[in-house]
Amino acid sequence: MTKLTGVTHRKVQVPSNKERTAFLFMRLSGVFLLFLAVSHVLVQHVVNSVHDLDIQFVIERWSSVTIRGIDLLLLFFALIHGVNGLRNILEDYVHSAKAMKVINVLLVVFLVISLIFASVAIITFNPGT
Amino acid sequence: MQVNMRIRRFNPEKDEKPYWGEYTLDDVDPNESVLDLLRRLKGEQDGTLTLRSSCAHGVCGSDAMRINGANMLACKTLVSRLGKEGSSEVKIQIEPILGLKVQKDLVVDMEPFFDHYKSVMPYFVNDSPPPADGRERLQSIEDRARFDDTTKCILCAACTTSCPSFWANEKYVGPAAIVQAHRFIFDSRDQAPEERLKVVGDTFGVWRCRTIFNCTNACPREIEVTKAIAEVKDVLATGKI
Repeated sequence: MTKLTGVTHRKVQVPSNKERTAFLFMRLSGVFLLFLAVSHVLVQHVVNSVHDLDIQFVIERWSSVTIRGIDLLLLFFALIHGVNGLRNILEDYVHSAKAMKVINVLLVVFLVISLIFASVAIITFNPGT
Repeated sequence: MQVNMRIRRFNPEKDEKPYWGEYTLDDVDPNESVLDLLRRLKGEQDGTLTLRSSCAHGVCGSDAMRINGANMLACKTLVSRLGKEGSSEVKIQIEPILGLKVQKDLVVDMEPFFDHYKSVMPYFVNDSPPPADGRERLQSIEDRARFDDTTKCILCAACTTSCPSFWANEKYVGPAAIVQAHRFIFDSRDQAPEERLKVVGDTFGVWRCRTIFNCTNACPREIEVTKAIAEVKDVLATGKI
């Protein structure tokens, strides 16, 4: 019912599809990455010199479960955000639906393999072995 | 003032590919519009020059074209705006709007544009009986203000054909159609927002917008097009109008 003063707010059913999910993920991961990526750059490149980044530095940082958790979050958000961005750009240039399907499969394979390898490295890292 | 014009010409019955036609007009008043110059050129130098125009006052939206690399209405663009201040010579380059098939010279096929326009149901939908007094369906000033900006669209296609996402894929519904959808989605009296959201929330709907802002810059009616698209995205994300 329309009101004659103030703003009428309505709830509506909205279609859900992969583009909407991707959009919401990009917004959410973008907010997280603002903190995660900036703090990563500050810690790795400003507070510490890139010349000091050796295995000892990694051992010290990854001795903390919190830092490992933060790095895992950064890995997942940044990689998926980046690959989806790349998919968006490629969709603007590749007009063949078949070619785009192949590209999407390749991107997913690259994404999954990268996530698995990097996650295994972060989670199982043990300087003693 | 002298104006040197470079115009993208193409006659599919004669030319294999488009070419640049070069023309010079003397004694031009800086307050003349680009449309004035094109009409003068057609009358005085080359009657085959083809373009669309109608009201010549920025209302009908017929004469959107790419002037010096940016989409504008020829009738609303004064020569003084295109040259350096105090200069007695102005260079103007004119091309048809991009992303739609050129039919001849500056005339493009607008059908794909209007197909997208029609797809968002650009008309008021309300099946409930009209008020008993037989007068209009009232709404608050605040409710009316929500879609005021998007009522100003004249369907000139300057926004859609300035959008790189539309150049990349003509299936993208485009800024103009989203502006039209916005006008009705945000109208508290309309009863079909969900049907329109299905169209603009599709794969080739608002998600194709990369927030480049070309559309906002191109709009001759100064509609905040990118903002309207963002508001539709917000409805699609939250389910709240």
